[in-house]
Amino acid sequence: MSESDQSGKVVSGPREYLTFRLDQEEYGIDILKVQEIRGYEKPTRIANAPEFIKGVVNLRGTIVPIIDMRLKFNCAQAEYNSFTVVIILNLRNRIVGIVVDSVSDVMELAPENLKAAPDIDGSVDSSAVVGLGSVGDRMLILLDIEKLMSSVDMGLVSVEA
Amino acid sequence: MTEGHQESGGGDSFDLSQFYQIFFEEAGENLDLMEQMLLNLNLETADDEELNGIFRCAHSVKGGAATFGFADVAELTHQMESLLDRLRRHELQPNPMMVDVLLESADASRVLLARHQTGETGEPPSNADLVRRISELAAGGAPAPAAAPPAPAPVVAPPVPVPVAAPAPLSANPGVRQLEIRMGPLERPDQVDGVKDLFRDIVGLGSVAEVASGRADTRVFHATTSSSNEDLLDLFAFHVSREQVNIREMGAAAPGAATWTDRDDPPPGAPVAPAPGFGFFEGAPGVPTGGAAAVTVEATEARPAAAKTGAAKPAPSPVAAQPEAATIRVAISKVDQLINLVGELVITQAMLAQNSQTLDPAANQQLMAGLADLDRNTRDLQESVMSIRMIPMSIVFSRFPRMLRDLASKLGKKVEFVTQGEATELDKGLVEKITDPLTHLVRNSCDHGIEMPADRVAAGKPETGTITLSAAHQGGSIVIEVRDDGRGLSREKILNKARERGLEVSDQMSDGDVWQLIFAPGFSTAEVVTDVSGRGVGMDVVKKNIAALNGTVEIDSSEGYGMRVSVRLPLTLAIMDGMSVGVGDEVYILPLSSVVESFQVKDDAVNTVAQGSRLVKVRDEYMPVIELEKVFQVPRYDGGKSSDIMVVVEAEGSRVALLVDELLGQQQVVVKNLETNYRKVPNVSGATILGDGKVALILDTSTLVRRSRH
Repeated sequence: MSESDQSGKVVSGPREYLTFRLDQEEYGIDILKVQEIRGYEKPTRIANAPEFIKGVVNLRGTIVPIIDMRLKFNCAQAEYNSFTVVIILNLRNRIVGIVVDSVSDVMELAPENLKAAPDIDGSVDSSAVVGLGSVGDRMLILLDIEKLMSSVDMGLVSVEA
Repeated sequence: MTEGHQESGGGDSFDLSQFYQIFFEEAGENLDLMEQMLLNLNLETADDEELNGIFRCAHSVKGGAATFGFADVAELTHQMESLLDRLRRHELQPNPMMVDVLLESADASRVLLARHQTGETGEPPSNADLVRRISELAAGGAPAPAAAPPAPAPVVAPPVPVPVAAPAPLSANPGVRQLEIRMGPLERPDQVDGVKDLFRDIVGLGSVAEVASGRADTRVFHATTSSSNEDLLDLFAFHVSREQVNIREMGAAAPGAATWTDRDDPPPGAPVAPAPGFGFFEGAPGVPTGGAAAVTVEATEARPAAAKTGAAKPAPSPVAAQPEAATIRVAISKVDQLINLVGELVITQAMLAQNSQTLDPAANQQLMAGLADLDRNTRDLQESVMSIRMIPMSIVFSRFPRMLRDLASKLGKKVEFVTQGEATELDKGLVEKITDPLTHLVRNSCDHGIEMPADRVAAGKPETGTITLSAAHQGGSIVIEVRDDGRGLSREKILNKARERGLEVSDQMSDGDVWQLIFAPGFSTAEVVTDVSGRGVGMDVVKKNIAALNGTVEIDSSEGYGMRVSVRLPLTLAIMDGMSVGVGDEVYILPLSSVVESFQVKDDAVNTVAQGSRLVKVRDEYMPVIELEKVFQVPRYDGGKSSDIMVVVEAEGSRVALLVDELLGQQQVVVKNLETNYRKVPNVSGATILGDGKVALILDTSTLVRRSRH
């Protein structure tokens, strides 16, 4: 894995993205937001939570909610087997885990490789899509994962009464 | 990530800013201690120990402030120190006015320090009026009450007979000296203009006149002062550095003048025996001997005045003076980290205990013995570590004497403040959150509870009302009470007010329920809204704050006799005893302190009443049933278990029976916050990690009980 730059220079230079697969699509998220990658373990269910919030797990003493992105993005199927992966994200002091089908690799994308995203239909919140990256014949949908997780419909943020 | 790097060796300019934080903390503590000692000061029989202690506090703050270049603080505390010095030498008798002005000066110092701490720029508030009052008191006079617009105080004090030039009491005074002060070479000569202001603003510092220096980069002043050179250099430090100042005496003035090598405690700044022939002092402040007589007269006159303003004093058994304990200052983050680690240890130890249950005890004797030891050690360690964060309630109580003193005097009431159980300990996190609600309750008691002195006498009560603040441990909780012997709550008024506001009330409501009405938002029966209270925004916030700490608040009152507000808080936030119950395949934890009993139930013991809610009869009592399976929508599989065990829990004074499948066990659980990464979940107060590593939800018995009320 390439050495990570000084954390200052994130804006203009090439950034590194962790790529993962949900069903047929490949997505990329800022590697700096990824804390670790784990296998899937059955979370403790939380009553009355939306379907895509599977529950909470114990991550070395911290209680972390687990969100199944395949359910959130209305994918055709969501299996839980030994290949299922959970990406633990550290989003400015909030730790969240997302369930994905598989994790691919870390790609460095220069601004030249990024294209603006056309308006994609409903299932993905378009405002969270930063752009499309192309490497070879792969197309990555780049997400602003922090924005996505903080949006109200993700159910993580309680709405102030 | 680079932290601020250490300079290797000492740089040329020693960076003091790294010590600022320590100074601010210590100065804050000194000012607090000084305030406490001033409030406890027995004016008639003030002993050396007390006076010296107060002096030392002011001295420490002054020294630190001068070192760090906070000249405004240094100047003010210098004045305070002068007065205190005279007091501790018994040259003056303490009187309430001195206590008042010293308390106000401490406040002003805090304000100045806060400005420095936050880096505020702009004009600092002028303390010239305070300084004037201090010096007049130090001179033995009775200054007029603080003037509203602070004007720069002239050196003129009310003219007092000058004739007796008594050098005796001022024997420690180096006497008045004429000095030539040379400042230069200066990059910006105008930077020392402030020196003249110093002489103008600090009463008793002396007087100064500038003389021609003959050089553009040098300024020369002729000053007449009784302050030592050390003091002058300290004061000038803000405007010009020491190396650039040269002080030379132009000739000794009054007899007994010390030389400028005098490095002892700075002399009292204010009163000075006017040296004949210099004419620098116009109407010098009073001479000590004359002044001393004036002071004693003052003292006796002031005493009835003090009684009228309702001085609030602490408990008859005086609050124990802070013992000189050896302490270490530790950052809270380190303590929290330690507590977290111990929490992890408890979890790991629980896991080991669970896994070892399946082992054959006989074959693994040593292992089992070791695990038993581990269990004990872990418990002890955990108690020890939790106690690090516990601080005595006296810290919370300490702010009230001052507050009540000021409040009572403002309202014209006489209030005595009594504390009990100051040594009761409370978690630091709770202390910070309980202070505001308690403050509100105490202010309420003073404002609405305690009647005016005349009314009290008319009602046959003693003129001085009493507010008692007490703290005690009860079971797993701490109970804090605010009691007053005032007029109590009026059932009539409250019911009327409630009806006015459209709340549903009936005359048959029990007293307890009526008192709870005052927690409704916006509720107030005060006829007059003062800036202290009465707007009706207080009590509901109090209740909310206390509920946020998982505590409860209860009121008891007797019209005409007084009122008592009891706040009950759980003692530890992080680790508690829990009972684990099973529902379906899931495990839930109940706080053991709320569990009353449990029993197996047969279907016929449960009655269904209207709207589908169910009741169960326990001995002679009917209580609502809550089926956890339904509340948490636990999935059931055919052929699985069914619920037939009731666990009775009590919260907020009511009981409910929870229907569960089985009782799994009892253990210490480390409470983890769900909201850190997730959000608040209804009916759940937190989560914990079981011995097998899985997460279990801890139920919030209060909300469960409340659910059943509807």
